[in-house]
Amino acid sequence: MSVVARRVAAIPVRTSTQTWHTIVDLLARPESTATAALTAVTNIAAVLISEEYTGQAPIIVSGADGPRVRIYTVHGDAAADAHDDEMPLATFPTDSASWSLSLPCGVDDLEDVRRALSAHPRIDIRELTDGITQPEPASSTTTGRLAVDIEELNRP
Amino acid sequence: MTTVRVNTYTYATTHVATNMLRSLRQIVRGAGLDTTHMTSQWEDLERGVSTWLDSRHLKALVLEVYDPRLPSGGDLVGRFDFLIDYGYSVEDDGELWLDPDTVGYTIRKNGSYPSGCTYRFVADTAPGRPDVTGWSSTTFRSTAGFARQTVGTALGGGTLGASLAYYTRTR
Repeated sequence: MSVVARRVAAIPVRTSTQTWHTIVDLLARPESTATAALTAVTNIAAVLISEEYTGQAPIIVSGADGPRVRIYTVHGDAAADAHDDEMPLATFPTDSASWSLSLPCGVDDLEDVRRALSAHPRIDIRELTDGITQPEPASSTTTGRLAVDIEELNRP
Repeated sequence: MTTVRVNTYTYATTHVATNMLRSLRQIVRGAGLDTTHMTSQWEDLERGVSTWLDSRHLKALVLEVYDPRLPSGGDLVGRFDFLIDYGYSVEDDGELWLDPDTVGYTIRKNGSYPSGCTYRFVADTAPGRPDVTGWSSTTFRSTAGFARQTVGTALGGGTLGASLAYYTRTR
């Protein structure tokens, strides 16, 4: 499976809520059910962005089709540069019928956030230090083709 | 202390708005209160605070902790104020900064509140403020029997600063 990464400018270029709305616009078609599902967790996602968890570990969108998408938020001095470099994705990853999204979370907030997300089945939480815990989609086709994302390789 | 350097007042208001709320959330958690109540209001809180900082109407953002089992007028058990100073720095050098020790000290000095206590946020605004969805008018709970303790400036950016104070019982 290939991986595509994007960086989204957060505080101080955008508030945490504005940052999440920008991410939703990146991931889902306007007025789609995916947009509704992602918008429904705005408060929770914005809190995680404000804590800068999403700057330390990616938001991950997975599905049976297309590449896995990693979104990092950029905070502080680097946010203005990241804003200038923002790029849309080639496709909306939530077009896949089986899309799911994983949010990184610090251990102090894990229990409360997991409880708050219990009513949102497509959206999961993982510990900040866990890395990618989502399983590979069962229906993913392995063709042996290698895809390289240069931006991801350039990350420190 | 962490600092970054940027150049616009809007960046300063965004930095101060989000990090004031982040700091208050840390106080809520440190006081043993349920953070999910605050999380469920996050978008409204951030919209109001950033709007009124940008328009320079926000005078203070206040966290009132109260015990709903106590009679009205005497139900306040704790209070934390972020006081806004629009002339904190003479020079707008664009530096955005946050001192987590100020919040950490406040949490350590206050301890936790009994179970059953809850909280709300009140924005003290100057006349003529723009209306913001999700906010309504109210009055502060009585602070009779409490004294205010000033901790110091916790965060700021350019000419904008936010100092933290808390209330303790005197009787």
